[in-house]
Amino acid sequence: MEIKGSVALVTGGDDGIGEAVAKFFAKRGAKVVIVGRAQKHIDRVVKEIKDACGAVIGVQADVTSEADTAKFIRATLVAFGKLNIAVTCAGIIHDGTMLTLDKVTGKVSHKLSLDKWQSVIDVDLTGTFLTLRDAAEAMVNGGWEGLLVPIASVNKVGQVGQMNYSSAKVADALMPKIIIGEFLMRGIRNIRCVGIAPGYTRTSMLTGMNQDALKAILADVHLGRLVEPDEIAAMIGHCVENGALNATTIEITGGLCYPSGIAK
Amino acid sequence: MKHFTYNDMAFAIDKTGNGWTIARQLPDGALAVVGAELFQDMPDHEAVARAQTLVRTIYPVGIKIVGPDVTHPNRVGDLKIVGPDVNHPNFICWNKDSTSFAK
Repeated sequence: MEIKGSVALVTGGDDGIGEAVAKFFAKRGAKVVIVGRAQKHIDRVVKEIKDACGAVIGVQADVTSEADTAKFIRATLVAFGKLNIAVTCAGIIHDGTMLTLDKVTGKVSHKLSLDKWQSVIDVDLTGTFLTLRDAAEAMVNGGWEGLLVPIASVNKVGQVGQMNYSSAKVADALMPKIIIGEFLMRGIRNIRCVGIAPGYTRTSMLTGMNQDALKAILADVHLGRLVEPDEIAAMIGHCVENGALNATTIEITGGLCYPSGIAK
Repeated sequence: MKHFTYNDMAFAIDKTGNGWTIARQLPDGALAVVGAELFQDMPDHEAVARAQTLVRTIYPVGIKIVGPDVTHPNRVGDLKIVGPDVNHPNFICWNKDSTSFAK
C-alpha cells in the first residue's frame, strides 16, 4: 500500500510517538486524523501539519468510549471519504507493584488500586480494541485496503511495577495474530494487521524522568540511546509499504537487554 | 471566508490553495485549526455543507449544564423556587401518576 493518498488515523496523535507517526504520514502525502485527549495539544499538532501543507483534522476523544470511537471514525469518513491506516498510540501508565510492604512490620502496607489497574486496562487495551474494531469495520464496509497497527511495548514480556501496563501490552501484541486469523476465516483479505512494540523511546514521559534512572535504563540498551519517535514512525511506514508484513508484532528497541545481557 | 456558530462555538471556513480550512474561535479570540486541506476538488457549496457536517461530527451537542440562578427572587430560605414556564411550547402537563403507565 502506498502512503501517499492514503488516510491515516492516529490515536494519541497529539503527543509523543503518535505525533511523530502523524507527522511522518502527513509529510509523505497521507491525509491524517489526529485523535487525542488534550484539545490544546491537538490544536498544536494540527496547526503544525497544516503549516507544512498537510491534510489533517483533529478530534478530541476518549478511546475508551464507544461513542467517541464512533465519532472519530465518522469524522474521518466525512473529512476524507475513506480510512486506510489506524495506529493506536493512545496509552497511559500508572506504575506500582501489586503489593508494597511496610519496612518495619513486613506486612502489606499498600495494594495496587483497582483504579490504577482499570484505567490502564481501559486505555491501553480496551481503547486499542475499540479503535481497531471500528476502523476495521469502516475498512471492510468501504472495501478499502487497510492496515491496523496496535502499539504494544517491549514490556509485554512482563515488567516489574507494570502489572497493568504489561498485561495490556501483551494482549495488544497478540491482536495481529487473532485479527488476521479471523479475517482469513471471514474472507477479509484487504486488511493487514502489524503490531509495533517499541522499547524506551524519547518521549516527554521518559525525558522528564529522573536522569539517573534514565541512565540506568540506557545501560541496558545496546544502541546506547533512546529510540527516537521518528524511528518508530519510519518502521510503521515500512509496514504500510511492505505487504508481506502481517499478523505479527515487531519490536523496535535498539537492543534492549536484561542486566544479565540477554536481549529482552 | 464563511462564518457560522454551532453549539455556542464560532467557526470559520476558508478556501485555501488546495482545499478548505476549518478554524474554531478560542475564548481569547484566536483561531485554532480544526482541519486543513479538506474537500479538495469539491464544488464550493458542497464543501461548505460538508464542513458543517464535519464540525457537527467532531463537536457533537451534549448536555449543557447551566448553574442555578442564585439571584432569582423566588426563594424559601436556601431553596430557590422556579415555577415551570407553562407557556413554553415544550411544556407538558402530565396529570397521571406512574402507576397508570402502560405495562
